Amino acid sequence: MLCPVCHKDALIVEYQDIELDYCPACHGVWFDAGELELLMASAGFEDFRRYLEGILNAPEPDTPERKHKCPACGHKMKKAYIDRDNKILVDICKDGDGIWLDGGEIQHLVKTLAESSPDKGDSQGVLAFIGDMFKHQD
Amino acid sequence: MWEQIRSNQVRSVILIALIAGLLLAVGYFLGLYFFDSAVGGLVIALVVWAIMSLIAFYQGDSILLGMAKARKIKSDDAPRLYNVVEEMKIASGLEKMPDIYIIDDPALNAFATGRDPSRASVAITTGLLQKLSRDELQGVIGHEIAHIKNRDVLLMAITSVMLGTIVILSWYASRFLLFGAMTGSGRRTSSRGGGGGAQAIILIVGLVLMILAPILAQLIYYAISRKREYLADASSALYTRYPEGLASALEKIGGSTRQLKSANQATAPMYTVNPFRKEGMKAADLTSTHPPISERVRILRSMAGGASLADYNDAYRKVRSGKQGIISKNAAAAVGAVGIRQASLSVPGELGLAPGKAAGKAAPGTHDASDIMLRLDKWRTVDCECGARWKIPPGFRDNNILCTRCGRRIRL
Amino acid sequence: MLALWIVLGIVVILILFIIGAYNGLVGFRNQVKNAWAQIDVQLKRRYDLIPNLVETVKGYVKHERETLEAVTNARNLAQKASSAGAAERGKLEGALGAALGRLLAVAEAYPDLKANQNFLALQEELTSTENKISFSRQYYNDSVLKFNNKIQMFPSNVIAGMFSFKIGEFFEVTVAAEKEPPKVSFT
Repeated sequence: MLCPVCHKDALIVEYQDIELDYCPACHGVWFDAGELELLMASAGFEDFRRYLEGILNAPEPDTPERKHKCPACGHKMKKAYIDRDNKILVDICKDGDGIWLDGGEIQHLVKTLAESSPDKGDSQGVLAFIGDMFKHQD
Repeated sequence: MWEQIRSNQVRSVILIALIAGLLLAVGYFLGLYFFDSAVGGLVIALVVWAIMSLIAFYQGDSILLGMAKARKIKSDDAPRLYNVVEEMKIASGLEKMPDIYIIDDPALNAFATGRDPSRASVAITTGLLQKLSRDELQGVIGHEIAHIKNRDVLLMAITSVMLGTIVILSWYASRFLLFGAMTGSGRRTSSRGGGGGAQAIILIVGLVLMILAPILAQLIYYAISRKREYLADASSALYTRYPEGLASALEKIGGSTRQLKSANQATAPMYTVNPFRKEGMKAADLTSTHPPISERVRILRSMAGGASLADYNDAYRKVRSGKQGIISKNAAAAVGAVGIRQASLSVPGELGLAPGKAAGKAAPGTHDASDIMLRLDKWRTVDCECGARWKIPPGFRDNNILCTRCGRRIRL
Repeated sequence: MLALWIVLGIVVILILFIIGAYNGLVGFRNQVKNAWAQIDVQLKRRYDLIPNLVETVKGYVKHERETLEAVTNARNLAQKASSAGAAERGKLEGALGAALGRLLAVAEAYPDLKANQNFLALQEELTSTENKISFSRQYYNDSVLKFNNKIQMFPSNVIAGMFSFKIGEFFEVTVAAEKEPPKVSFT
């Protein structure tokens, strides 16, 4: 996969059966729809599609951030807030292929999900694990 | 088996003749309407059909596989898949080992293609490969090999090309007709004012035909393929001697259609643009909806006595509660009693690629099947001491990477 | 004169029939041979895989010496008899299959072994080889049945007798081994 921001080859990192695309140049992370489903399911979100659609259907915010193309289908992705208070804008594929998070945004996503997750047991471990996944960066 | 293929062939020839007749009728009216010459239309229809058939016959399989972005694999790339195909090749008595292709797609699908049993290919998506246990995979491959063995593949190619020709001709014809009607400059009125009633009838018949021909052809096509799907199921049960394998594979495939809508939507435009590919995919496509999957599963599960064709026939009658079986009596009797074997112990996914995975853990998130694709593309894999596994694309130039999990620097 | 022609005609027809029947029989015999060769390939493959398997398993299963030895012995016996007839081989291969089944069943109880890549690859190869043996056996027996029918049925039996075609031997793996799948406990 090519990084949608810097158009270089992205690496793939696999840990505990979850596989993510990671760009070592800009530290962005691509969540493929399938991986997202796995992650969300293990975090206790049964209806994660509704969550995704919620993000997808929200009106597109007016932002100077540059638009990127979906690395899976090549169509322009939509900008969407996953955390309005902290102004965390992510790129989401309109066809539902996945979400692109710029460097650092993943920690915010994990935090938001951890707060809204219905069960506070196992899911926290999974979310912490995703947060840990990218904590070291140069 | 012999008798069955024979009786199928007679039936198929009749149905092919029907489609061919439809094709000629479309050409006839096309010519009559646009060139004032029925022969001209017939010639156009035949030329288009001949060109498409030649391409389909000589290049059909490579076009199909190329469009599906299928990658050919060797036995080292996916040992289990290769073994299962070889097992089914032996069980079916096929002379030559078919080529094996993998398609990098999460959708659950498999198809067979090729001109005859000695030049055939089976293709399977990584999604399906990942989801199926060994027994299930065997059932699916058995089904595809049966399509090759029964020569369904060529028949489907022939009929789908004819169907494609009809669709293309009717599409263009109806566009022209509509365009002509809208601008109100139909030359039929100006050039032949005196023709009157007969002309109007031809116009109406032609119009109706343009609209109905593709639908009719599609229905005939389904009629051909439906019986063949059942027969391939029956053959698969006979080859594997384990109907439950295919049954539970079908269940997985059927159950997942809803989830995979996004993938289907993404590929849908491609399908409509190219009817040849669309129909080709359907030819031996396991997920093709014609015989309902639930019914196919129920028939396979009702095979109590054994795995022979006669057992399938009985199950078919029972499930459909009809007198008529799907397989002719002679064919069913030709093979003696065949017992059902025991289930084998195995888990889904391609085997022996990820270390540290307990064999009993059927993880839906494993990436063994997509790893096959990566290896075909010459990706490298390094394991970090912290347990994270990094996969590095062939074009990556740096000589080290930073493991973002533990902060270690890994030399490549 | 006419009688001569009739006799000549009958002789020609007879010769043509003999040629046809003889060629048919040879065709069937070749099919049987070919089918047997296919089984043989798979049986040899199994002989080759077993030493590797025993070597890999040895390190993990300390208390299963007898099971391992049984497999090795059965393999050596079967290999020694590899030029024997189908019936004799069937017995020995059946015993080997059973011993192998017991070993693989025993292996289920050793999680470390089941995580070993080498073992997993060997297990897949053996499973597949077992399948190929039974599938090619099915095909072989079908061929033998057809060949034997030709030899015993009129009129081809006359030709078979003239050229002394011998009926083929079925390849039956000992029933006890077939009916007894490896017992596995999921504990």
